[in-house]
Amino acid sequence: MYFIQAASTISHQPTFKNKSFSENISTLNTASELLSPDYKKYITPVMLRRMSKILRMSVACSVDCLEQTDIKSPDAIVVGTGLGCLDDTEKFLNNIISIKEGLIPPTSFIQSTHNTIAGQISLILQNHNYNMTHTQNTLSFEHALQDAFLCLDEGGENVLVGAADEHIEILDDIAEEIGYKNMQLTSGASFFIVSTKNNKNSKICVLNAASYGLFNSFSESLEDFFSASIPLLGKSKIDLGTIDLILFSTLQEKTKNEIADLFKGKSIVDYEKYSGTYFTNSAFALHLAIDILESGKNNFNGMTIDMKRILICNNLNSQNMGLILVEKVEA
Amino acid sequence: MKIYITGLGVISAIGTNVEENYQSLQEEKTGIEKIKFLSFDSVVLAGEVKLSNDALIEKMSLKNGFYSRTSLLGIVAAKESWGKNSLNQSIRTGIISATSVGGMDKSEKYYRQVLQKETTDISFILTHDSGNTTEKIAKELGINGYINTLSTACSSSANAIMLAARLIEQNKLDRVLVGGADALTQFTIKGFHSLMIYDNEWCRPFDENRKGLNVGEGAAFLVLENEKSIEKTGNKPYCIISGWHNAADAFHQTASSPDGKGATLAMQDAMKKAKINPNEISYINAHGTGTKNNDLSESVAIKNIFKQNIPPFSSTKSFTGHTLAAAGAIEAVFSILAMNNNILFPNLNFSQSISETELLPQTKLQQVENVKNVLSNSFGFGGNNTSLIFSKI
Repeated sequence: MYFIQAASTISHQPTFKNKSFSENISTLNTASELLSPDYKKYITPVMLRRMSKILRMSVACSVDCLEQTDIKSPDAIVVGTGLGCLDDTEKFLNNIISIKEGLIPPTSFIQSTHNTIAGQISLILQNHNYNMTHTQNTLSFEHALQDAFLCLDEGGENVLVGAADEHIEILDDIAEEIGYKNMQLTSGASFFIVSTKNNKNSKICVLNAASYGLFNSFSESLEDFFSASIPLLGKSKIDLGTIDLILFSTLQEKTKNEIADLFKGKSIVDYEKYSGTYFTNSAFALHLAIDILESGKNNFNGMTIDMKRILICNNLNSQNMGLILVEKVEA
Repeated sequence: MKIYITGLGVISAIGTNVEENYQSLQEEKTGIEKIKFLSFDSVVLAGEVKLSNDALIEKMSLKNGFYSRTSLLGIVAAKESWGKNSLNQSIRTGIISATSVGGMDKSEKYYRQVLQKETTDISFILTHDSGNTTEKIAKELGINGYINTLSTACSSSANAIMLAARLIEQNKLDRVLVGGADALTQFTIKGFHSLMIYDNEWCRPFDENRKGLNVGEGAAFLVLENEKSIEKTGNKPYCIISGWHNAADAFHQTASSPDGKGATLAMQDAMKKAKINPNEISYINAHGTGTKNNDLSESVAIKNIFKQNIPPFSSTKSFTGHTLAAAGAIEAVFSILAMNNNILFPNLNFSQSISETELLPQTKLQQVENVKNVLSNSFGFGGNNTSLIFSKI
């Protein structure tokens, strides 16, 4: 199992530097905006000037994570992003199409690559360790998390792992043109420090994470996930009944019904109503799960039971299924 | 635990399969020419694959569907590499690809329509995300489950190969189809021009008078398997992957450090992983882009490690152009061809050593007694440095 030493999220909810945020959040309304912290506290003015939203969010969350622990430099930096640095990509596209003569400024080209996020974090931390960027649309975060766990299994002690995606206006037009309705496209970044050691700080662990691309059926993926999780738990069977809360995202009625059938009588919450829609919002769901578990009895969504175990089911893209199982560490 | 490489596939400016690529390498024939298929507003030299999108679709007998050029190239190389492999419940199989531009070749057309207020073709934007290119390849071969894409600029597919090896080593998967693909785009060609590191003549890796790179396009895939998997597939391995390491240079967003810190760490720790000494490296397939900055930094790093005993090295980007995210996988295939044929590939267009480091790359095609271990370097923006080592069994 992998212990969570720190978590930090910038989103449309008051998540940043706000423990027990889950007690006070409600579903997003269409007027909601990204709640940005004072970035100057985390990033030097020179760097800040050049940074797009996705870079600011990611670097601030990373620095915040490290400040929550006494870790100076993690053994690896692993990032997931569905669409990468869209703002700089659009800027450069705009420039190459509209500037017919003369020089095109290179900054947005430089910053358009997906790994600008992880690269900037390594620069700021002066970290020379493993540095990776996963980009598998809605499963980017689950892939980053699995890579972080590989790093820990290979002997790393602490890994900084996170995910980020940024909203730009053209996405609204594209979503509309494709036919997605009633979808609130948002931005968000969540970073975590995962570790092999259970120090005093960590009350929460991730038992397992998996991604099923082009998956066949929900129940089949779940069965595989649980059987793969068994050796990690040292138990012979995982009882679905021991899961207190299912956080899910899906646009498919079929998946909704399957979840409702499999987890009858359990609390089931659509996290997308809280995070808004972006490719890596399952990272928001992980932070939400951590916060709910840390708070003990809480008011999230009107729930007052003491939660022990939460399953995150990410079916945002109908072809893909991401699963993360989170648990409170027994005292 | 040994991790075997049992399948190879490649498409680049010098050929549409492994055999054609090997032929061009032996004939010292570059594929960098004036571009023909990508629409561009000026004359530019690049390593373009000599087939149109329609020709690629026909070649692969693909049904109608939305394909970026990146996924078309990927499908060609993946299918060649996958060969007669079949899916089997008892062999846990995954696919990892790498790309830096994804479906940008189509997205830039869409964005032009938006800017010029023309009717937009939505199919042009549906293939934008990098993960889509991998899903298209996975669908063609029927692979599901572990489907992943890495994007770390020019080291992307070297990292994909490294991740595949780690997943097998950690017993998460038995067999991985792994590689990378990138198509030529206006975005990248203009991008490297904006950085003023695009050579308007043929690129000259490791030459004192080098001016920059030529972008290329292509794809390559490899099949990696564990012992259990080859017992079932009966595949004959070409070699093993024995070492790998990724290190961050943490110096600058694009430029490499003058002391070659990240590159040195990557090579050094890859050798440590392979449990071999520098004197056991028979050949280095260098990153060697032809830019002032990379080639100097890489030369310094090579000297840091190998001191006075520099093994033969060359950059095959003088044949293919810099294929960005596909480079690591294409060069992995070339490294394995060098090993299995005991041959060293030349570094084209070289005439004078870099004055600061005075290294002399391999300039002639040369048959040697034994190419036992090959080191392949891939370095990218964001200071992302990866070295892989392939070894004879």
